[in-house]
Amino acid sequence: MITGQWPYGQSEERAVAHVVVSQLYKKYGELQVVHGVDFEIGDGEFMVLVGPSGCGKSTILRMIAGLEGVTGGEIVINDRMMNDVPPRDRDIAMVFQDYALYPHMSVRQNLGFGLKMRNAPRAEVEATVRKTAETLQIEALLDRKPKQLSGGQRQRVAIGRAIAREPQVFLFDEPLSNLDAKLRVEMRTQIKRLHMSFKVTSIYVTHDQTEAMTLADRIVVLRDGRIEQVGTPEELYARPANRFVAGFIGSPTMNFIEAQVVEEGNGLRVVPVGGPPLAIPKSRAQRYQRHAGRPVILGIRPEDVTNTWTEESRARESAVPLDVAVEISEPLGSDTLIFARLGNAEIVCRASGMSAPVSGSAIRLNAHMDRMHLFDPESGMAL
Amino acid sequence: MSQDAAVGAASRTGSRHKKAWHLAERPLVWLAPLTLLLFVTYVYPAIDVIRYSFTDATLLNPEYAYTTDSFKAVIRSPDLPGILWVTFAFVVASVILQLVLGLLVAMALHRGVRRRLPGVSVVRIIILSAWIVPGVAAGIVWQLMFNEASYGFLNAVLRGAGLSPVAWLSDPNIALWSAVIANVWRGTAFSMLLLYAGLVVIPSSLYEAASVDGATALKQFWYITLPQLRPILLINTVLISIFTLNTFDLILPLTGGGPGRATEVLALYTYNTVFRNFDLSNGAVLAVVLLLISIVFTLIYVRLLPREL
Repeated sequence: MITGQWPYGQSEERAVAHVVVSQLYKKYGELQVVHGVDFEIGDGEFMVLVGPSGCGKSTILRMIAGLEGVTGGEIVINDRMMNDVPPRDRDIAMVFQDYALYPHMSVRQNLGFGLKMRNAPRAEVEATVRKTAETLQIEALLDRKPKQLSGGQRQRVAIGRAIAREPQVFLFDEPLSNLDAKLRVEMRTQIKRLHMSFKVTSIYVTHDQTEAMTLADRIVVLRDGRIEQVGTPEELYARPANRFVAGFIGSPTMNFIEAQVVEEGNGLRVVPVGGPPLAIPKSRAQRYQRHAGRPVILGIRPEDVTNTWTEESRARESAVPLDVAVEISEPLGSDTLIFARLGNAEIVCRASGMSAPVSGSAIRLNAHMDRMHLFDPESGMAL
Repeated sequence: MSQDAAVGAASRTGSRHKKAWHLAERPLVWLAPLTLLLFVTYVYPAIDVIRYSFTDATLLNPEYAYTTDSFKAVIRSPDLPGILWVTFAFVVASVILQLVLGLLVAMALHRGVRRRLPGVSVVRIIILSAWIVPGVAAGIVWQLMFNEASYGFLNAVLRGAGLSPVAWLSDPNIALWSAVIANVWRGTAFSMLLLYAGLVVIPSSLYEAASVDGATALKQFWYITLPQLRPILLINTVLISIFTLNTFDLILPLTGGGPGRATEVLALYTYNTVFRNFDLSNGAVLAVVLLLISIVFTLIYVRLLPREL
């Protein structure tokens, strides 16, 4: 839907920015909300800050924008220390959660406001507004007031207002959370397309892990003002650093099962409390060897406990047959979520197809133990 | 069970019976008391004033006859242009100053509240107390402030600063401005209150977006605050114009309309015509003129309300 290149004059020499956040602290009175956060965003990278509400992600973004003061630490954009630089001199553009369109201005005036504030010549403002409107396909709306627009249209205008400015850094503060589910998915794709064609350094805040996974080059997972993990979506999914990240990334959430690692004659096994022993594949045995005899939390994603049972997976030593008692099944169309009992734990499994098993029945599934995780029950850290 | 059903049935028939008295069914019955009250207290006196304006009544003589001479007399009166000019100057100056000062105070208060400065509520109470003071009391207070005798506060301050005292109330060229100052002192609180309410509802994200977009504080005021306050400013202007136009309680103890007729605004002129000259019919004509001007402002106000808010 979004076509074209970065449409404006200086696109050739436009510098992409590099953002460094180091030892960032924020205190409101006695309440400390950000506890020494460090991360770096490379030129043209799309970084997503994700975490549950109250984790400090918006505060960090607002500090980068200059809308909140910094209690401690540094924010550096392109080697320039920004802590005391007012927002207007940071060369950033921001898309707000409530869009913050100027209600008394037309779409045209909204799009051109940033350029006007920088005393750009009228002709340049007009040309930029037109190109931006073309890029976002909102030409027909230029003379309307924000009140006359739908949610999705407002969202486009808000994004347009940001790109018309040709900033070095885009900041997004939960820009899709006010849209309905269908529109959210649509706009998500648009934002991704925009970034792919413009390659402007972007920082995007959301509480939605799906948005984070789909949009990000890299993700910062935050909790209670601290970083839990920084990594690419694949890294966070495949190698979560701790139980929090493991539970936050992926949907439905990873199954966590109280278990014990035991060593038996021919190998290492993990035994869910009240459940059958599951063989740990050789590829993992060495890593988990030293935890033998200890209580652990076994983590396994629903999509790794499935009904797919091909010859190939049977041949793989890692695929362990698992008998579970079905409690509820939820057919989703492409696959079916099965809520089942494994020992004392309730787990969610993801079977392919519409094969809804009757509740109360016992079925045999296939646990891909090469994708298992073990966590320390006390610290929650991945073992 | 059967008892419940019986109760239910009873209440249902009850409600059917009562329905005849619902507001939607018989609005006139419900509106009647208020209509009567308004008629007795507002409409009837107004009609009576209009009636008197078509007579030659005085306060001294209970006999009167119907005539249009009073209108001719008032329109031909040599005093009227001066009175209208004083009224116009008084209203325009008061309204502009009340708007500007009200906006400044409202913005200062708003900023203070957002920054959680201590003492903000005390400031608010002090400003509002000026508004609560009755006009007559405010007139007396400012009479003392402006007084040119030794106890006059402002002149004492001027003398203390080594400046020559000002004839606040006795110089015909200054007295009107003294009256404006006193009126603005009293009326600013009202403007402040309305404009403060207007400021509070401007989303802070607009200012954040503007500051990210590169707007300085002054440009934010010009491009965000003023346009966002526009409806409130318009309504405020109309309301304080009406209030100021009808002011006479403040000026009466302050200058009595003097020196000469330097501060005799239309409302005070009306009062003086009736209660000093005992000329009821001419006073009634002036009251009708005041009423007409107020009605014009009210119509503007009514037109603004649905469109702007």
